Amino acid sequence: MTPWTQPHPAAMDFIPVHDPRWQLLAGEDGPQPHPTPRPHALLTLEQWHAVREHWPSELPTGVLLPNTADVAALAADLPRLALVVLQFPKWTDGRAYSQARLLRARHRFDGELRASGDVLVDMVPLLQRTGFSSAQLRADQKIDSARRALRFFDGHYQGDAVQPQPLFHRQAA
Amino acid sequence: MYQYTAFDRHFVRARAAQFRDQLQRNLAGELSDDEFRPLRLQNGWYIQRHAPMLRIAVPYGELSSRQLRTLARVAREHDHRDAGKPSERGGFGHFTTRQNLQFNWIPLVEAADVMELLAEADLHGIQTSGNCIRNITTDALAGIAPDEEVDPRPYAEILRQWSTLHPEFAFLPRKFKIAIHGAREDRAATGWHDIGLQLHRNAAGEVGFRVWAGGGMGRTPVIAALFADFVPWQQILLYIEAIVRIYNQHGRRDNLYKSRIKILVKAEGQACIDAVNAEFATLLSDDAQAGAHIIPQAEFDRVAAHFSAPPVLAPGFAVSDDTDAPPAYRRWLERNVHAHKISGYRAVTLSLKRAGQSPGDVTAAQMDGAAALADHFSRGELRVTHDQNLLLPWVHEAELRALWQAAKAGGFATPNIGLLTDMITCPGGDVCALANARSLPIAAALNERFDDLDRLYDIGDIDLHISGCINSCGHHHSGHIGVLGVDKDGSEWYQVTVGGSDGSTLGGPALPGKVIGPSFAADEVPDVIEAVIELYQRERQRGERFVDTAHRLGPQAFRRVADAARRSTATATAE
Repeated sequence: MTPWTQPHPAAMDFIPVHDPRWQLLAGEDGPQPHPTPRPHALLTLEQWHAVREHWPSELPTGVLLPNTADVAALAADLPRLALVVLQFPKWTDGRAYSQARLLRARHRFDGELRASGDVLVDMVPLLQRTGFSSAQLRADQKIDSARRALRFFDGHYQGDAVQPQPLFHRQAA
Repeated sequence: MYQYTAFDRHFVRARAAQFRDQLQRNLAGELSDDEFRPLRLQNGWYIQRHAPMLRIAVPYGELSSRQLRTLARVAREHDHRDAGKPSERGGFGHFTTRQNLQFNWIPLVEAADVMELLAEADLHGIQTSGNCIRNITTDALAGIAPDEEVDPRPYAEILRQWSTLHPEFAFLPRKFKIAIHGAREDRAATGWHDIGLQLHRNAAGEVGFRVWAGGGMGRTPVIAALFADFVPWQQILLYIEAIVRIYNQHGRRDNLYKSRIKILVKAEGQACIDAVNAEFATLLSDDAQAGAHIIPQAEFDRVAAHFSAPPVLAPGFAVSDDTDAPPAYRRWLERNVHAHKISGYRAVTLSLKRAGQSPGDVTAAQMDGAAALADHFSRGELRVTHDQNLLLPWVHEAELRALWQAAKAGGFATPNIGLLTDMITCPGGDVCALANARSLPIAAALNERFDDLDRLYDIGDIDLHISGCINSCGHHHSGHIGVLGVDKDGSEWYQVTVGGSDGSTLGGPALPGKVIGPSFAADEVPDVIEAVIELYQRERQRGERFVDTAHRLGPQAFRRVADAARRSTATATAE
């Protein structure tokens, strides 16, 4: 096995499926259409659109995006968000990798970027490299295996969220 | 050819270690078969009808004699089975239309060992399957063909590196294939690819890419649309990133048969092209990492140095001087030997289309034999051609006759390149779990029917392509004659098309063939093909090749003669 020698290993936090911190504001009929402000609220995109005009800026706030959403529509709001949760309805549906890449590299989002849904151990290296900083592994997945999955490669060809310079710049240096 | 750096070597070994971990978790029950599947596919491992199939990448078709010997060792030591017909015992590989090599009889428990053995020779199965960017293909005459404007190999290598384990594009809606060439004639069938790239020079002499996207075969054959006429070579990674990102986000994921980029391009038309060009512009102007992926001249020079040309030689050969040249040798010179851009050299095809063996198949002994020919005659280098042959790229003209003798002894000298028996055939229902019908017995029957060389030469240039199912691995859509296996009520039937083209000069612009009536029974196919060929021989005008006549006459004329050749399906057609 290859040792982990990446110069600046980006941390990947593993969050339990039932996050004690960030809470969806949902009632019996699904998300509340006009939620009351509170810290660490995780809002759906619809909720966020409904409240964004008057939502207090000092509250740490998260938004849950479907993987069909155009992240550019959220660009102006990103400085107000501490967390963006992207979704993998099926682990082989790779749309959220592009959303993550765009949020980080194009829209300069620097808060927590979390993967949720059908998140498997073997996705973790891809999540890290596209800019995710945390993952809610599916309940049956082993965190030890996920940590091991992060250690096989000590470098890649492309630039990515962990190492912005592609190999051809690194080996020229 | 490209020589692995310490990084490349380390990387392939890391991949082998990662795969071993996944395989062990699968065998231990921690990783289910369903969830292991996409992971093993991206390492080239399929589960087929009888055993797993391993597809090994031959990046842009370049293979060293050392690598071929390692493949022979894998065939000998791992590809085996103790039961069944001789053709089911293993010990051989199959070259594919995507310039890769497949093994059919390696037990899955040996998979990790095989990956490590391959890694020793800088070989792997990364991205030879799965819904990701697949192994990139090119013109087998890259760096050789006199009509070449820009040698595509350094660019293909840079693209190989960029596309390898790209984190954003590992789980696309469907597979994604890129082909690249840099000549006037398109010998890489680029119009049939998800992305087709043609290197060319603009009026100022600068090198750039003409970019097509949205081509593909399968159930809905589509020819790629032009997206950009000139993308400066330095920016090509970004342009491809823009295409693949638009596809990743907007390609359909609800229907397997509508998930290729061709469906998106076809449905959206110009809007899709505009979206890609807008994404490309935004990438260049806004993105934090984009500038870093503009290819520096130093990187191009570093990679291009691996593809340096051999020294020019004094011309050493003129067939007119060779007064005692036997007719068989002259035929071989005519069909299997190709012009070279470097003085004193020729490129030579080693035919893998011979009686008694399936198209593209090579035994362990034949791999060793071809490796020895490459060492002796071609600087230790071979190419895998997209029509499933091997090619020696650097043969001294003065050594052609010696090579012919050696190739003949090794069974590689069938002088049929470009002729009817040089057919493309997928492995079909004999081994493939996807196939609706077997393709190898059809190929064997046609080989037997057209075993007379004089007749083959009279028929002349023709592309015959056979696929065992609509997945089109045998490229039946682009065959001047295409044969497609279909399943009706659990038995094997074959649809025949005429007039398709892969886009090479011979066949005109890329085009799917037209169906000539309801499917035929297996035992009717040789008669039908013969009737189609005989119509051409009767109707051809001066200088017309089969495909020209096919386009002039249209499918109806062929349908009539094909119907006349029906026996068991005669009643069905009369209805």
